[in-house]
Amino acid sequence: MIPVNVVTGFLGSGKTTLLREVLARPEFSDTAVIVNEFGEVGLDHILLEEVEEGVLLLDSGCLCCTIRSDLQETLKALYDRAAAGAIPRFSRVVVETTGLADPAPIVSTIAAEPVLRNHFRIGNIICTVEAVAGHATLRDQPEAAKQVSVADRILLTKCDLAEEGAIAEVEAELHRLNPFAEIWRTTGQGFNADVLFREDLGDAERRATEVARWLEKAHTLGHHHIEDSHTNSFVLRYEHPIDWTAFGVWLTMLLHAHGEKVIRVKGILNLRESETPVVIQGVQHVVHPPMHLTHWPDADRSSRIVFITRDVEEAAIRSSLRRFLAAVRPADSEAAA
Amino acid sequence: MCGLCGLLGIVHWTETSAHPGAFTGDRRRTVRAERAHRATVVNTALAPYRMKLSDFQATSYVLRSATGKSEIVDDIQAVWGAVERLRGAPVDPLSPEWLDALERAT
Repeated sequence: MIPVNVVTGFLGSGKTTLLREVLARPEFSDTAVIVNEFGEVGLDHILLEEVEEGVLLLDSGCLCCTIRSDLQETLKALYDRAAAGAIPRFSRVVVETTGLADPAPIVSTIAAEPVLRNHFRIGNIICTVEAVAGHATLRDQPEAAKQVSVADRILLTKCDLAEEGAIAEVEAELHRLNPFAEIWRTTGQGFNADVLFREDLGDAERRATEVARWLEKAHTLGHHHIEDSHTNSFVLRYEHPIDWTAFGVWLTMLLHAHGEKVIRVKGILNLRESETPVVIQGVQHVVHPPMHLTHWPDADRSSRIVFITRDVEEAAIRSSLRRFLAAVRPADSEAAA
Repeated sequence: MCGLCGLLGIVHWTETSAHPGAFTGDRRRTVRAERAHRATVVNTALAPYRMKLSDFQATSYVLRSATGKSEIVDDIQAVWGAVERLRGAPVDPLSPEWLDALERAT
């Protein structure tokens, strides 16, 4: 399975700088890059073209919805051409979104297409946010806030140009929007590309490390709610094993009714049916195929499910899952804490 | 659904079993029993609306409304779209009214 990384971030936040630096490294030389043209941002393409021959320019506007089929066709064409020997084989794809794009549809594009999902898997979603104007952007531009909430990795760029106070302010905002993603300060060089691009849940050897990473963040979180904001992030914890089917039915029902408001869900589940934990993660309506871990990442054996939502309160989701599990198996009503 | 789609094997994540051995589901329940269990759980959720889901030949599910309308769906995810079409509104798991009805029905 070829991982597809999504690089997102608002206009001028340093997506291209990141890609230019990382793609120049020998270990990323077999990366195919897909950028798309959106007004003047098409300039990005000129920069990228110099470092990467596999660039395909999508030419029909915004990536977020109208050209999802183009992205499908582009990925298929890349795969076919590599298989036919017309272009070098690649082991990774990076999709750079426009500054205004919502990265979630890219995930659903790959998850929904049967051919693509047999060859590609979604890797980390990386979001760049610039330190100088980042706070104002996050406050005023809902697209930028959404990009942060969806991300697995956040890069705070241009830290050499911003005051320490401003940087800390942006960091606090980023943490509020997405307390489960790792945040790094950068100055446009020396990116930790290995952790950014390669360490993800889809990589069987590194899965446990990645789960441990966000569990640690979940552990310190408790409950988080932003004043004057619609974003909530919280952790649901269940001490007793959960019925896998009941959980699946509940989550699909929730995502059908409120998928656009459930920005991220990640969880490690202690299931009745399995001795070892199962990891789930989703972006809005799309849930990735569940994965087994070979062992628990820490001593805690409880199920922990982290949510980032918009306009949906923690209490509503907590109560819904608890009451549904209890209704499915009345004997378990005490199990859901 | 054409046969080719089936061959391509789009298995929705809820159509998996959580047993070790990559969700093969061959340790605890048979495929039929697993599917019957899924239908039972879904029926708990649908009880407030007097709708019912049943397994169809271990390949699909049939959703039936109280008025006799029915629809065939491929997987659990597709149930909720069908419910919305048959009753004109989605099931909202965050709705206190639905949760109350759920508890009254069980």
